[in-house]
Amino acid sequence: MIVYSMLIYGLINSAILALMALGFNLAFGISGVANFAYGAIYIVGGFITWTLISTLNIPYAISAISAIIIMGVFGALIYKFIIKRIRGLVMSEVIATFGISIVLLELLRYVGLIGFKYSLPVFIEGSVEILGAFVDIQRLLIIGLMVLIIIALYLFTHYTKTGLAFRGIAQEEHTSLSLGINPDRIASLSMGIGSALGTFAAIVILPLGTITVDSGYDVLISALSVCIVGGLGSTFGVIIASFIIGYAQTITAMYLAPHWTMLVSLLAILIILAVKPSGLLGHQKELEERV
Amino acid sequence: MLNVDKLMVFYENAIAINELSIEVNRGEIVGIIGSNSAGKTTLMNTISGLLLDTKLKEQRKGGERITIFGRISFLERDITDLWADERVKMGIVLSRERHPVFVESDVEENLKIASYLLSRPVMREKIEYIYKIFPALVPLRKRKAGFLSGGEQQMLAIGMSLMANPTLMLLDEPLLGLSPAIQVKLIESIVAIRKEAGVTILICEQFARPVLPVIDRGYVLENGMLTLHGTGEELYNNPEIKAAYFGV
Repeated sequence: MIVYSMLIYGLINSAILALMALGFNLAFGISGVANFAYGAIYIVGGFITWTLISTLNIPYAISAISAIIIMGVFGALIYKFIIKRIRGLVMSEVIATFGISIVLLELLRYVGLIGFKYSLPVFIEGSVEILGAFVDIQRLLIIGLMVLIIIALYLFTHYTKTGLAFRGIAQEEHTSLSLGINPDRIASLSMGIGSALGTFAAIVILPLGTITVDSGYDVLISALSVCIVGGLGSTFGVIIASFIIGYAQTITAMYLAPHWTMLVSLLAILIILAVKPSGLLGHQKELEERV
Repeated sequence: MLNVDKLMVFYENAIAINELSIEVNRGEIVGIIGSNSAGKTTLMNTISGLLLDTKLKEQRKGGERITIFGRISFLERDITDLWADERVKMGIVLSRERHPVFVESDVEENLKIASYLLSRPVMREKIEYIYKIFPALVPLRKRKAGFLSGGEQQMLAIGMSLMANPTLMLLDEPLLGLSPAIQVKLIESIVAIRKEAGVTILICEQFARPVLPVIDRGYVLENGMLTLHGTGEELYNNPEIKAAYFGV
């Protein structure tokens, strides 16, 4: 019995990690900018949704969609006004985005984002029994939505003009520029879409718990570790890595103790950097995988 | 149609292009002949606007200082400070040196990426047209561009530039690293492109022998300075050119 529930909860945990990491990975794969404000965007996106629902009484679906749009625009603006000026200077990019992250998260802490009332409602109430384990429908939805997002990303990058331009910029910036594709426009779009994906992940995942400031930092670490293990910029690598880390966390929680789980992702970074610094699929740089 | 007026480009204090004035008229094939480090690529990057992007990036890094003097005008408009993608919209399209293709995408996808500025139906038409000019690419449609030979990559690179709808096409050393047989084939297709698509072509090369017979006019560049200027035939029969480039 316990093996079945381990399998199912591991799968759910993996899907959560993949959803968290995809937005970070997309922005990095296309623009080369490691967006350390990603965790903050995740939490702020969730908080905006909560505010729209609870204080303005706007229906859930509309609140969620407007939060995704707001954070998408916000991500693009971060690129346009801040990162564009320091693009290519990796250390400055990290410092700037991490600065934004601290400002946003600590501002939320300052205005009082603490307590159980800050939680998003689940999409569908109830749970089902699978192989003897009871699973919330919300958790099953997460798996479905992860698959959906991956398919949507694939279609976007292979069949739309903007998506194809994304792949061009990811491979060779100057060649793309000489064909009329403006790298700054594409990079700011990729940051916007990355942030929108992060917010989407927040809206899907946050109903499982409460919105807390500190989970913003945790999300960043989770996304980073999945991306580093999978090979930065590789979508296929991200999926594989989220399964490895996801199952490792679930097994640790079940057989060791839940408070060891945070160590798993950090340990994974340590091991992968010692054994294969470019990540599991980092060396291939296949574009299907980098999306 | 293109006027470069007293162009000077410096990398730090080293001069790459020195008071260079050239002119390209509509419908011509103009050649820039020069050996390594003559300033050909710098000239191409300056005309296409890529150098402005490099300059900005170096500035941010606090790296190499690039300075540009002089004026470039295209279709009676001053484009000296215009950004590269705006110049592409005006019709100046550069095919960079060393077969610039997207190595991780397949051939067809490369052409699709290059069609960024076109609408979908026009894109399909154009892709068919490029397969007509370069039939060798048809069986390779689904192959990753990184696995193509140098000649095939160069055909694809020229095809990609054509997708961007150029009125003036800049070719930076298209013959680099290709076998003589493929060089001849490529030159033939370049002439065909001028004739069929009505594209004006500025080509820079160090292999003068295959290029000189097909160009209308040519400039010879040495250390960033203009040393000779004449029709293709004049240059072909010039004893100095013969000695320097044909090894006669």
